[in-house]
Amino acid sequence: MSYEKEMMDKLGRGESTGDRLDIPILKYLWDASPLSFMAKESYHEFFKKITFLNSFSDNEVRLFTKYLHRREFMTNETIFKQGDSGYGFYFIFNGAVNIYANYNNQPEEQGDFIIRLEKRQYFGEMGLLEEFNRRSATIVAAENTILLGLFKPDLDLMLETHPVLGAKFLRETALIMANRMGQLTREIVGLKKKVKELEQRV
Amino acid sequence: MTRNQKIKLYLFMFLFSASIVFAIMFPRLTLPFGFAYIIYLMCKPFTIKLTTGSRRQRLIYFSLMMTGIVFLCFPLFATLYNVDTDFSQFSNQLPEIQKMLQDKFFAYKVMVFEKFGIRLNLDPVNFLMAKLESQGTIFLSHFPDFISTIFEWLLLVPLFLYFFFMESRRFSRNFLEAVPNPIFEKSYVLFSQFNTKFGEYIIAKFIEATILGTLVTLGLFLIGFPYPFILGFIAGVTNILPYIGPVIGVIPAIFVGMLSKDPNVTVLSMLVIYALANLIDMILVFPLLVSKIVNLHPILVVVSIIIGSQLGGIVGMIVIIPFIAFFKLLFKEIYKDLSVHL
Repeated sequence: MSYEKEMMDKLGRGESTGDRLDIPILKYLWDASPLSFMAKESYHEFFKKITFLNSFSDNEVRLFTKYLHRREFMTNETIFKQGDSGYGFYFIFNGAVNIYANYNNQPEEQGDFIIRLEKRQYFGEMGLLEEFNRRSATIVAAENTILLGLFKPDLDLMLETHPVLGAKFLRETALIMANRMGQLTREIVGLKKKVKELEQRV
Repeated sequence: MTRNQKIKLYLFMFLFSASIVFAIMFPRLTLPFGFAYIIYLMCKPFTIKLTTGSRRQRLIYFSLMMTGIVFLCFPLFATLYNVDTDFSQFSNQLPEIQKMLQDKFFAYKVMVFEKFGIRLNLDPVNFLMAKLESQGTIFLSHFPDFISTIFEWLLLVPLFLYFFFMESRRFSRNFLEAVPNPIFEKSYVLFSQFNTKFGEYIIAKFIEATILGTLVTLGLFLIGFPYPFILGFIAGVTNILPYIGPVIGVIPAIFVGMLSKDPNVTVLSMLVIYALANLIDMILVFPLLVSKIVNLHPILVVVSIIIGSQLGGIVGMIVIIPFIAFFKLLFKEIYKDLSVHL
């Protein structure tokens, strides 16, 4: 249910919607307004365009943004290295990042380029869910980049203070993982098929 | 790492070290600040539950602080009254104790002379009393400072506490924004883990000390042992120190038992009470409350307490344990990273 609908329902039932002005909410609604003349994209608009957070209501998006950390990276700055301990999940708010994987286990090497992730894409969800996570790839800022990060302590706090929001977020993250698992399984099946074909040819 | 990143990192390290030096240079400000922070960490789990979803946070925090002051101060003053009564009784008995000690030492001197022919020219009882008197004078000369410190703390601790309740999240976010990227993730997670562990440890030790102090007071009161409140209070406070605390806590009671002329007062019954209270603590309270929070080897705990006492006296002995647990965690993380990258 959206925040506006929640308030309208409350008014409809004759309940109080709070007896004083909540400045942060007003500020948030001002920023979130589609008529806002501000050129800068607000967090609200940003998250509303991220598909996996579609099920979040306006108020939930507002609450969710409170747990995020804004981190700024310069071009070619390493965000994390393959093998580092992982604790966080990042959304690309602005800019782009390159992902590299090192198959030779040579720490000094950056590895092979895998993919470029752009604005509104995300990475690092395993770091948030696994207890002892090691980053499986190196991520480098391809240009000046702003990331919004959610870390383990933030998720713990979210589950404690806003359990419904936390559960919703975890469900969505689990869905991403499930999709990736499905994709991986399909790729493995395809690769096995190719190996079999090659074996038969040989 | 680029040149800019390096500058940012070194600047941050410099400012961080400078703030630690500042904290050490101004203990009158740092100590109440630290004390308020400990109380804040202790209250955090409850305040999160109370304030979630509420827009009247300011009122909740204020009411919570007021309730805390009333509920904490009332038993404290009640106990202090009893402790004060016990202490005045002890002061009144002091000349009597001095005379008894002198008699006992004289008998001992005679015994040594008769058996070994050695004349002891020592007078430890008078030396002890003179020392006690001089220490008392020093304490009295510093008493105005002590009172002014108490009033300072009474003003500063609630003020800092209110600041922590209201602003800590915003403050920590602003601070975290300044942390350079290469160390951000790890330092944030470790700092959060330390905060959680520290808060849990202090709360657990506080509950443990209260339970043990109450058990000792009750036991001593039931067997009619003198000064049950002051001895229970000492047992509770010293119990905060693991392993060494229970031993230190029983020493005053042994002295009181040995000096008492009452035939009903026996050191053995008192020792049974202490042993029972510590047994309940070891079997029930400690495993349930504390052991899971700080998973340290007993030898490491004892060594840490000795280091803590050298660095910061009694406060150092108490707070060193969660710090050591944190450093253990930190070294583990650094070692894990090194083993991956080297």
